[in-house]
Amino acid sequence: MNATVLPASPGGPHPLLAALASPRVTLVALAAIAAGVVAHTQVEGGIAGLLAAVFAAAAANLLAALVVQPRLRADLPLLVFHVALLALLALAAIGRLTALTGTLELAQGEVFDGQLLTSEAGPLHPDGLAKMRFVNDGFTVEYAEGWRRGRTLNDVRVFGSDGQVTRRRIGDMDALVIDGYRFYTTSNKGFAFIFRWVPRSGESMERGAVHLPSYPMNEHRQAQTWRIPGTSREAWVMLDMARPAIDPGRPSRFRLPDAHRLVLVIGGERRELAAGESVTLDEGILVYEGLTAWMGYKVFYDPTLPWLVAAALLSIGALGAFYWRRFGRAEKERGP
Amino acid sequence: MMEATALGVAVAGYGIAGAAALAGAALHRRFDAGVAAPLALGLAAHTLSLALRWDRVGHGPFISMFEVLSSNVWSLTLLFLAAFLRVKRVRPAAAVALPVIFVLMAWMLATHPDDGHLPATYRTLWLYAHVGFGKVFLGALLVATAVSGLLLLGRAQAAGPGGGGARDDGAMERLALRFLVLAFLFESLMLVTGAIWAQDAWGRYWAWDPLETWSFLTWIAIAILLHARVTFRVPPRGTAAMIVAVFALAFLTFFGMPFVSTALHKGAI
Repeated sequence: MNATVLPASPGGPHPLLAALASPRVTLVALAAIAAGVVAHTQVEGGIAGLLAAVFAAAAANLLAALVVQPRLRADLPLLVFHVALLALLALAAIGRLTALTGTLELAQGEVFDGQLLTSEAGPLHPDGLAKMRFVNDGFTVEYAEGWRRGRTLNDVRVFGSDGQVTRRRIGDMDALVIDGYRFYTTSNKGFAFIFRWVPRSGESMERGAVHLPSYPMNEHRQAQTWRIPGTSREAWVMLDMARPAIDPGRPSRFRLPDAHRLVLVIGGERRELAAGESVTLDEGILVYEGLTAWMGYKVFYDPTLPWLVAAALLSIGALGAFYWRRFGRAEKERGP
Repeated sequence: MMEATALGVAVAGYGIAGAAALAGAALHRRFDAGVAAPLALGLAAHTLSLALRWDRVGHGPFISMFEVLSSNVWSLTLLFLAAFLRVKRVRPAAAVALPVIFVLMAWMLATHPDDGHLPATYRTLWLYAHVGFGKVFLGALLVATAVSGLLLLGRAQAAGPGGGGARDDGAMERLALRFLVLAFLFESLMLVTGAIWAQDAWGRYWAWDPLETWSFLTWIAIAILLHARVTFRVPPRGTAAMIVAVFALAFLTFFGMPFVSTALHKGAI
């Protein structure tokens, strides 16, 4: 905690620096942080700039206090606490500048090729995703009665840059960590139709998965619209299940439905396909290969994480030591 | 059945202890044994009830509102009893602390005792660290608040050695501050372990969800209080009033926010 500010003296700190280091400014900065946080959380999308400004103001006050206030430097635990707090603010700022958060979806057997569905990266993020490769080898999600989600287990294979293949089982509290990028399984997962498209133009065949909306969250909206590659045709597909793939009446697990039909609408014409069947169009042949599952992943990168934890624990330890000594000393001074 | 009976014994024990504390305050007398003994008995019965429930439902009291309230009544009582037995000057504060626990207890009894479902991301030691630190934080803050309440009610003299010393607001303020600092340290630990858990479970260490936001604001409020004391000459009653305000903020955060948000802190569906 800051002590009373010393008056500016010849050879002492610049009056502006002394004013910035004032404990009164600390109080204003703390109140501004509180107000900034409230404003940030009340506005849709947040006000990151405001939040950055109030934390930067607090950091400036803290730095000035460390320079100007001899008492902060004279007491080692107090000094360590304030330096660790300053480090925490600096690390959080570095983290925001270099971090990345994003999402991706992989059907079973699909290889992650570095492409994200959504992403938000700091301006100094060193993009290392492009060379990353891993494959989703399938997953299970347990459910208690009433579709209450239990354990998620996802088998993946990671292809190292040295050609080595590593098998991992991830899920829930266990992320896949590759070069500092953390891939998390999520509650976002569902079914996907596998199609093969053979164009008449002689272009090479394409194989892909059409991901249906997350299941069971969108149980009654298992439909999707997509464009057939190389054409202007839009196709609407729907998964028609005889009964829910996950029985809400008893403990169960995420699995492909026992029986299903693919409903396909192209150009106003409705067809129903079973796995292995195809439909012939003017531009080529669309083959329905079968149903599989996809998993949605969240990816997170922030190189400051271990340092943040270290700085936070150091600050708490130092503050504890400071008060331990202070209260102990006060007790001794007052006597028994 | 045994679980409910044990909870009934606990409620009765807490009730008798609270009545003894309030009677002592009204009659300007001290019934320390009349407070401590039924409180300890109630706590033992409550521990048994929680253990039986834990064994029956297969998870600790972390999920439903009933479980959260019950475990907080237990932890607040445990921490207050520990302070009551260890620090003599805390004892008169039972007349302030126990009614606060009664509010939670009444709320608990009015809540349906749902079993809840433990999400997979709650099967981690970080849960115990985060919740444990949070309980010590609230317990220490309750003691600080109870001592501050005593000071504000003008009953500081009763807290002197032997219960009849000269009025000493400064001593009471220092005592309240010690518990406040303890609360500050444990809230800091709660925030750090919560962030580590959130990073492992949901891929983000901080997301400004309502409970995170208001926990952080409680932390900032304590920081403001501690800074204000060294910046200005805050009289003991001023410090006490600020501590009570911080407790009100913490109480609304931890017991009011679950009604505002059913997001991650209710267990990521």
